[in-house]
Amino acid sequence: MARERKHKVGEKAELNMTPMIDVVFQLLIFFIVTLKQEDILARLDVNRPAPDKVPPQVDIELLQIQVYNLGFVLQGHRVTLEELQRQLERIGRNSPNTSVVIKCTADSPHAYLMQVLNACGKAKLTSLNVFSM
Amino acid sequence: MGRKIHKTRTEAASIDMTPMIDVVFQLMIFFIVTMKMTKDVNPNIKLELTKDSRLLENSEQALIVEVDRNGMVSSHNARMDRETFRTILKARYNRVGEFPVLIRGDRRTKHRDIRAVMDICADIGLWRLTFVGIKEKKTRT
Repeated sequence: MARERKHKVGEKAELNMTPMIDVVFQLLIFFIVTLKQEDILARLDVNRPAPDKVPPQVDIELLQIQVYNLGFVLQGHRVTLEELQRQLERIGRNSPNTSVVIKCTADSPHAYLMQVLNACGKAKLTSLNVFSM
Repeated sequence: MGRKIHKTRTEAASIDMTPMIDVVFQLMIFFIVTMKMTKDVNPNIKLELTKDSRLLENSEQALIVEVDRNGMVSSHNARMDRETFRTILKARYNRVGEFPVLIRGDRRTKHRDIRAVMDICADIGLWRLTFVGIKEKKTRT
C-alpha cells in the first residue's frame, strides 16, 4: 500500500511536454519562414521650382541634362549612362558647386531620372533641379 | 535483477528538455515582437537601385507618397486621388509648416505621373523633395 502511493506521487510530478514542444516548433518555423529582411533605402534630394516658373536659360554655370524615354542628353550631346557618369564626375571634381538642371520628358521612365540623380550624387553635385518638358 | 535493468532503460529514454524549451521560447518571443503584421508600404512598388546615394534615415515628420507604375498615388498603402493628396498636403502644411516629402516612385512610372505629384508639392510651397531609391537590396525578387 505504502509502496503504491509513492509510485503515484512520482508519476504526477512528470508532465508530458511533447505536444507543447510540437506546437512551439511549428510556430517557430512559421516565424522563421515568414521573416523578411527590409531593403536599405537611399535618399535623392532635388529642388522642384514652382510650375509657373520658367526654366532658366542655358548658362555657363548651369549643367543641362535632358532625360528622354530612350536615353540621356548632356549639354546637347547624346550620352550613355556610363559617359554621363564619367562627365559628371569630372565636373564634380573641377567645380563641385555647379547647378544641374535635369529636364525630363513626360514619357521618360522614373528609373532614368533616378539614375541621373544617382550619378550626380556619386559626383558630389548637390544642387539638382528637376524640370519637366 | 530483472527489475534493475528495466529501471535504467526508462531513465536513459528521458532527456532534460528544459534548456531547449527555454531557448525556443526566447526565439519565439523575439520573432513575435519583431514581426510586423500589417504592411504600411505599397508592396507593388519597385524602387530603382541607387547605390551611390545617401542613406535614408527614418524621419517621424516626413510624409511618404507612393506613386505606382500606373500613376496611382497612395500614402502608407492607402490609395487616394490627387485632389485628396493635395488637400492632405495643404492641411499639413498649414499646421506644421515645411516638412520633408519622400516620393517612392516605381521605377517604371512615367515622368508625367511623378511630375503631377511634384507640381502639387511645389504649388503648396514644398519645393525640396526627396526621391527614395534602394541603397542595398536585401529582399529577393
